[in-house]
Amino acid sequence: MFRLNFKIALRSLMRYRSISLINVVGLAIGISSCLLLLLYISYESSYDKQFKDSEKLYQGMINLYDVDGSILRTIDQTQNVLAGTLKSEFPEVVESARLTDIYPRLIQAGNNSLKLESRYADPEVLNIFDYTFLSGNPGKALVDPNSVVLTESAARKLFGSTQVLNRTVRFEDQAILKVSGVIKDLPANITYNFQALTTWKLFENLNEWPKAPAWGNHNYYTLVKVKANSNIATLNDKLKGLIQRNLKGAKEDIFLYPLTDIHLHGSFVGGQPSGGRIQQVHLFIGLSIGILMIACINFINLSTTNAQKRAKEIGVKKTIGASRFSLILQFGLESLLLTALSILLSVVIVEFSLPWFNSLLGIQIVIDYVNPTTWLLLFGVLIFTGVIAGSYPAFYLSGLSTIKSLKSALNARKGLSLSLRQALVVGQFVFAFVLIIATATIYKQIQYLKNKPLGYESSGLIEVPHEGLLYLKYDLLKSKLLKSGAILNMTQSSSGITDRKSTIRGLAWEGMSATDKNIDFDQIYTLDGFTETMGIKILAGRDFSRQFASDSVGLLLSEKAALVMRLKEPVGSRILYQGKQCTVIGVFKNIVWGNPGVVEAPMVIAYEDYSDVITMRLNPKMSLSESVVMVSKVLKELNPNFPAQIKFIDTLNELKLMDETILGMLANLFGGLSVFISCMGLFALSAFSAEQRKKEISIRKVLGATISQLMSLLSSGFLKLVLIGIVIAVPIAFVVMNKWLENFDVRTPLSIWLFLLSAFLTVFIALITVSWQTYKAAVSNPINALKYE
Amino acid sequence: MIDLQNIEKYYSNKGVKSYILRHVTTSIQEGEFVSIMGPSGAGKSTLLNILGMLEEPTYGVYNFMAEDVTSLNERKRIELYRNHIGFVFQAYHLIDEMTVAENIEAPLLYKKIGSSERKSRVADMLGRFNMVGKKDLFPNQLSGGQQQLVGIARALAAQPSIILADEPTGNLQSAQALQIMELFKKLNQEEGITIIQVTHSEVNAQYGTRILHLLDGVIKEDIKTAS
Repeated sequence: MFRLNFKIALRSLMRYRSISLINVVGLAIGISSCLLLLLYISYESSYDKQFKDSEKLYQGMINLYDVDGSILRTIDQTQNVLAGTLKSEFPEVVESARLTDIYPRLIQAGNNSLKLESRYADPEVLNIFDYTFLSGNPGKALVDPNSVVLTESAARKLFGSTQVLNRTVRFEDQAILKVSGVIKDLPANITYNFQALTTWKLFENLNEWPKAPAWGNHNYYTLVKVKANSNIATLNDKLKGLIQRNLKGAKEDIFLYPLTDIHLHGSFVGGQPSGGRIQQVHLFIGLSIGILMIACINFINLSTTNAQKRAKEIGVKKTIGASRFSLILQFGLESLLLTALSILLSVVIVEFSLPWFNSLLGIQIVIDYVNPTTWLLLFGVLIFTGVIAGSYPAFYLSGLSTIKSLKSALNARKGLSLSLRQALVVGQFVFAFVLIIATATIYKQIQYLKNKPLGYESSGLIEVPHEGLLYLKYDLLKSKLLKSGAILNMTQSSSGITDRKSTIRGLAWEGMSATDKNIDFDQIYTLDGFTETMGIKILAGRDFSRQFASDSVGLLLSEKAALVMRLKEPVGSRILYQGKQCTVIGVFKNIVWGNPGVVEAPMVIAYEDYSDVITMRLNPKMSLSESVVMVSKVLKELNPNFPAQIKFIDTLNELKLMDETILGMLANLFGGLSVFISCMGLFALSAFSAEQRKKEISIRKVLGATISQLMSLLSSGFLKLVLIGIVIAVPIAFVVMNKWLENFDVRTPLSIWLFLLSAFLTVFIALITVSWQTYKAAVSNPINALKYE
Repeated sequence: MIDLQNIEKYYSNKGVKSYILRHVTTSIQEGEFVSIMGPSGAGKSTLLNILGMLEEPTYGVYNFMAEDVTSLNERKRIELYRNHIGFVFQAYHLIDEMTVAENIEAPLLYKKIGSSERKSRVADMLGRFNMVGKKDLFPNQLSGGQQQLVGIARALAAQPSIILADEPTGNLQSAQALQIMELFKKLNQEEGITIIQVTHSEVNAQYGTRILHLLDGVIKEDIKTAS
């Protein structure tokens, strides 16, 4: 029986080739999207879970209190003394280690110099994370201060080989390190990743500031391993007051937070976890279920539509003794078969689209065929889709009345079946339309932010890191480049023009109110030429100049800063800044420094020789590639040990909108797919309806109806469905997108035109889809339909 | 075998009843070959559908093999289909996705007959109807007469006690029709299978042992034929 059913299923697939094709392709598209998103979700949710002791690993976090004792902020960077204190004072903590933030460090092997993403770490970090050592001893790898642990690919990049134990590298042009271990490349989904791991001792040897125990500075990550079955809530209670005991008047408390939650639940509000990456995961879950549902709805619609053609078979089988159950089994089997085919196809689609998807989201997902979870996932999707998509058609088809199906008198226009189908189509278009609106809104917002005036001339601006010998040869670099004609101007600053790195509060000035000391100011240190190089407009006063010695206590204020400080005559005002009495020498027009979606903060620019970045304005008279080649040649010449890293300010600004751009692309992609799949369904339904109403059409035609009259008669029903879908979708899209836009201080309004245009587009696409079938029905020869009556 | 008492069938539409069958009372014995005749709209097919339990009468009692089947649950009805009733249709109604042999085998599958028994019965049917060479063809590769032969073979495969045939030769040319009617006669006489057929043709009706004339839902005549 099973074999025969299987054979029949295959034969009917072949017989109704076009409808099977629409069915399989539609479902495969839906399943591919769903699989892709599921893979992404499993990637995100397995963050930091790869370690043997993952569930025993915690990170030290700090709650900062406001004056009234409420929790102001939660930060993940801690003091340099915390790790040691935790281990020595709290028996639950069995291991603890400090890690610095990741930073590209110059590492040279022979003539090969590279910047590798590096961290300094305590040797205990190797007891916390069980990295897979290809060579070297994890117990001793970070004991010698001048040792370095490399990942496999970093070793290969440096030496061309992984057999590099005990070979030496030059670190930051400051120290000679011995390779004490090579580990297998880290998975992409771990929080504390690196290419090179160097010792904390080295960090202290090269720098002064980390040495002294300081309870007042929060700069490092503290990771701990606790005893099995430790009660973390109790431990966190015990940790309360630890910082006050060591630093009088400190308004902060430490607590331990599971490492495995950092990635997905890393945002805090009022000391409580408030989400994080998990919101994106939820969004993706919603999208994947939505797309799969749309595909399933299509499947249901197409299968029931095909019922007319299958009716005879059902009737005959019933008269020769088939029970309803056996028919349900048969149609269920057919659905499963179609689903299985779709899954096969979708695995192929996913394999082809993964590289693109990975590069879009900056992640590394592969389908791991030897992993049983993958098969479980595929099987789960098969059963879920098979049951969701297959059960309604199976019950519907098997329940058809015997005599009616034999007489081919199936009239599905009455009764539940078509109205359910109509509801399903409406549902499809609701989902599709919300996605269309989302896409349009996201792109509109991105465009809006991109077009927002930056306050400086971004085109033709490049920046390079200020490092190595460039500190000594800054003036030489400037004169050489100016002479070469590659640049027009050049300036140094504590951070780049796109990178909002530093803020300060506690400025004091005459006429300030009590709360004004809590105003956060953005701050940049620079010497001369900053506003000129950037193209920032000076509104009053002047920029810094080397000609005035007094400029070392000068300040530049942004328009906004002058405004919030309520300075009537800003130039010449005296301001207490960083404990120094400074004089405002100029006011400049506001610039967009950090996130373009946020209202700009007031900004101060101070005169200080503290620089990380050199920014240059390229000479437009020279071609872009020529000047870039020239700049890198001069850089290499003056600072031979460091690779020349030239970044365009325009590119950096675009990267800031990366998250929004990705979201826009995803909404566009999945919106497009859902419209496409929905239209496939609409196409099949219109074919069905045209078939149903063949006789009516023929009679109307004989009575003298024109083709256009008939087409509008047939199409109007479907357009009504699409319109209902749009009407339902509008408030949903409005609420959802308003909520999304609330993430931005600076936002474009949701315009009625956007809704109207999207609605028009959707209706237009639907109309084209439906027209094909209605046209075919309208021009058919009436005799074909009438002679069988 | 079949006992109809006061069978009525009507459709109500906005309070107006339109009768298809009125006061049909008759009985059919095992081994009879009954032809139901009458003009279009007389209710022939409805009567046959009621006999085949494909439709329920609005009123009246129907006993099949001494059992009241007027309104039967689906499981019981399927039991009867599997074991006692074979259908033959005017439009043959073969399953297009199945080969000739599979079509004949289908009812045996539902009857849960063992594989070897199925094979032998299918082979037997194919041999009997000279279709061995056509067993792997699909219905659309056969002529109308051949399709109807397969239809009859399928009905017979389950070894029913009664065959209900709705205009079995209606779509056939006269030579093929003749062949089918001869076959029915032979089945009736040699194997004692009860046959009830609906027909338009006086000639076909003469193959049977009895003719019921229906007019406007009422049995006007009930006569034994010469044969």
